[in-house]
Amino acid sequence: MLTIDDLAKYPFLRRASSFVESYGLTFQDLASEEYSYVVQRAVERVRCGIEGRWAELNVVDPETEILAYPLALAFVYGLKSAWVVRRFANSEQKRCFELLKNEEKEKIAEVGKDGFDWDLEGTELTVSGVMFDFSLPVEKYLEVAPSFHSPDWKLVNRHVTGGRVYLKQVEVARLLSEALKLKILKKAEEEDIKKFQMPEKLLLKLEGLEKLIKETKIYDEDAMVEVVEEAKPPCIVALLKDLAAGKSLSHMARFTVTTFLINTGESVEDVLKHFSNVADFDEGKARYQVEHIAGLIGSKTKYMPPKCDVLRSFGLCVGGDAYCKKVRHPLQYYKMRAREIKRKKGWEKGA
Amino acid sequence: MHREVARAFKEYYQTLDVGELDVKGLQEREIALIPLGHETMIRHIAFPDTVALKEYLMENVPAHLYYSSAYYREPQAPDMNKKGWKGADLIFDVDADHIPTLCKVDHDTWTCLDCAAKGAGFPPESCPKCGMKRIETTTWVCDKCLEVAKEEVFKLIDEYLIPDFGVSLKEVEVCFSGHRGYHLHVQTEDVKTLTTDGRREIADYVRGVGLDPKHQGFRVMKDGSIIGPDLRDGGWRGRFAKSVYTYLSRCTLEDLKAVVGSDEVANTIMRNRERLLRGIMANPPSWMGLRGVELGRTIRIAKAAIRDLLCNIDERVTIDIKRLIRYPNTLHGKSGLKAAKVSYSDLESFDPLKDAVVFKSGSIKVYVKEAPRVRIGDYEVGPMRDVQLEVPEGLGIYLLCKGAAELRE
Repeated sequence: MLTIDDLAKYPFLRRASSFVESYGLTFQDLASEEYSYVVQRAVERVRCGIEGRWAELNVVDPETEILAYPLALAFVYGLKSAWVVRRFANSEQKRCFELLKNEEKEKIAEVGKDGFDWDLEGTELTVSGVMFDFSLPVEKYLEVAPSFHSPDWKLVNRHVTGGRVYLKQVEVARLLSEALKLKILKKAEEEDIKKFQMPEKLLLKLEGLEKLIKETKIYDEDAMVEVVEEAKPPCIVALLKDLAAGKSLSHMARFTVTTFLINTGESVEDVLKHFSNVADFDEGKARYQVEHIAGLIGSKTKYMPPKCDVLRSFGLCVGGDAYCKKVRHPLQYYKMRAREIKRKKGWEKGA
Repeated sequence: MHREVARAFKEYYQTLDVGELDVKGLQEREIALIPLGHETMIRHIAFPDTVALKEYLMENVPAHLYYSSAYYREPQAPDMNKKGWKGADLIFDVDADHIPTLCKVDHDTWTCLDCAAKGAGFPPESCPKCGMKRIETTTWVCDKCLEVAKEEVFKLIDEYLIPDFGVSLKEVEVCFSGHRGYHLHVQTEDVKTLTTDGRREIADYVRGVGLDPKHQGFRVMKDGSIIGPDLRDGGWRGRFAKSVYTYLSRCTLEDLKAVVGSDEVANTIMRNRERLLRGIMANPPSWMGLRGVELGRTIRIAKAAIRDLLCNIDERVTIDIKRLIRYPNTLHGKSGLKAAKVSYSDLESFDPLKDAVVFKSGSIKVYVKEAPRVRIGDYEVGPMRDVQLEVPEGLGIYLLCKGAAELRE
């Protein structure tokens, strides 16, 4: 049975939403004196996200806590910043995980059911000396697990039988909290909170948060301005080497290398140069394809290189190095290395 | 297009029982076809029911007919983003072309488009002479290839879909692809909304990609002893235990030497084989405990043992949530064979080169340019080159569709 305290701990539950709806509050209502605690708590929650802290675990007043959550989300979506949405989703994920991992089994199952329609079944199955606490239908597990990088989350490394994946409690807590994070991120694409709908008082709060973002946000895009040759991941280096040797590559390989180069700031001309050694090189055709990928012509979509999982499936992953273990996308590898290399160079110059 | 093929295909669709075209959710699927004698595909069409579809097919006889694995709100919308994706079947494609079999030397050839080097058998990834990757292949299938493909289907269903994924037989539809393999369609509500990433995990699961035995019951205890999975376990654990048991009971000393990388250790294992097997079978099992057989070597044995249990599927088909796939019970334009639905109980005895043959009346005179030994139905002929033959209709259509023969007066 979910109590009001539970709803305060997990305000993303459907039951919590119904609780909020029963108040029938508008933005105008929330701006009144009566709900100033709610506004304050909502701001605090967003602030925690921006600053990278978790929202307080101790729930003082459950009613305020439950009412503040949707308002916090309205602030987050109203700020129109993907960066804020990401930070907020991360902090909510961490908070939810901390709460869930120590929860009772029945409670966890209820959160799964009410929050995400997950049919979590308690079990005490022991298989080859490993004891599991829950089982979950495979398709629900796959809603979330592919977003984890570590190989032990791969389905193939799980105990799967009868259409269910067997899990320990801490793993279920991790999955549920990640499901929450994905839900917050996904909703950002759908929600369209317009600032002008908010009354003066709430707008002022929003502006305060905007200021905080400016102070906190560290722009990491600057790593991308110039091409850092040494930062390219092993898979791309291998493909470029094949191209330089005049080998003709598969469609997927060409797509990967082209999208990678375009996204790290190379021009269409520069990209074409890499392909010029290939025996069946047809400049007109190649230019058309590269321009298409760069989003200059056609559907105007700028394509991204495939992530590591996909490259692995297509046999384009060459094994990787220590950095590869930390990333799941070739561009992520590049960004990380480029930043590190630049920092080093800056430091050398400074010294 | 040869007039005999056009006539036969047209006749097939005219006399086709409408019920044969029954598929789940027809009105939500995109239909696509390549009309006879054309090369470009007509896409983005939709039909309210099978009657309307059949009428269309009688007018526009297809060489190939496809339907989308996906269900859409507006399947006829020409812009993919406007179709409104609702979900998709989970599909497994087993293609003899992708499975290296020994018989390929007898019927397949490849040519390098860059240096014109030629060879027989399974095509190399890049030309051994010039290193280029533009390789053209001419492939045929024989009973052996199709048998291997069928084994893959059984493996997929019996080893994975039923026990691990809990899919029931009535939720799986097996279709002969009409040419070189089989398609498995899983059409439950559960799988419908799986994402590409989720589907990739399923494909990796059955292919054993990223499989780490250390996550499936193999580990070292503090005292250095090895713990391994139980034959009675489900999932990959049980599969490991069973396959190691089978492997150790069948392998030769030479096999084992190559796998463990040490003659001495291989000898120790072979000497203690009976004891090891008893240990693995025991409840609870006891693994190894022999000198020199540490976790690393145990895992190498485990990996070697499961090799034959990994599924050979084309993972691109499984992960695609908007795949166009051959419409069941329609003709394959490159073989003239029917992409027949096959029930699981009939699969064992299903003979694609006989049971998927629909043209059975009379004979045709064809001029065969070049073909390996071919069997259609009970009639077998070849290898042959530059001969005029009178053959049963099914074989004639097959050779014409394969492009190996032509009509000459």
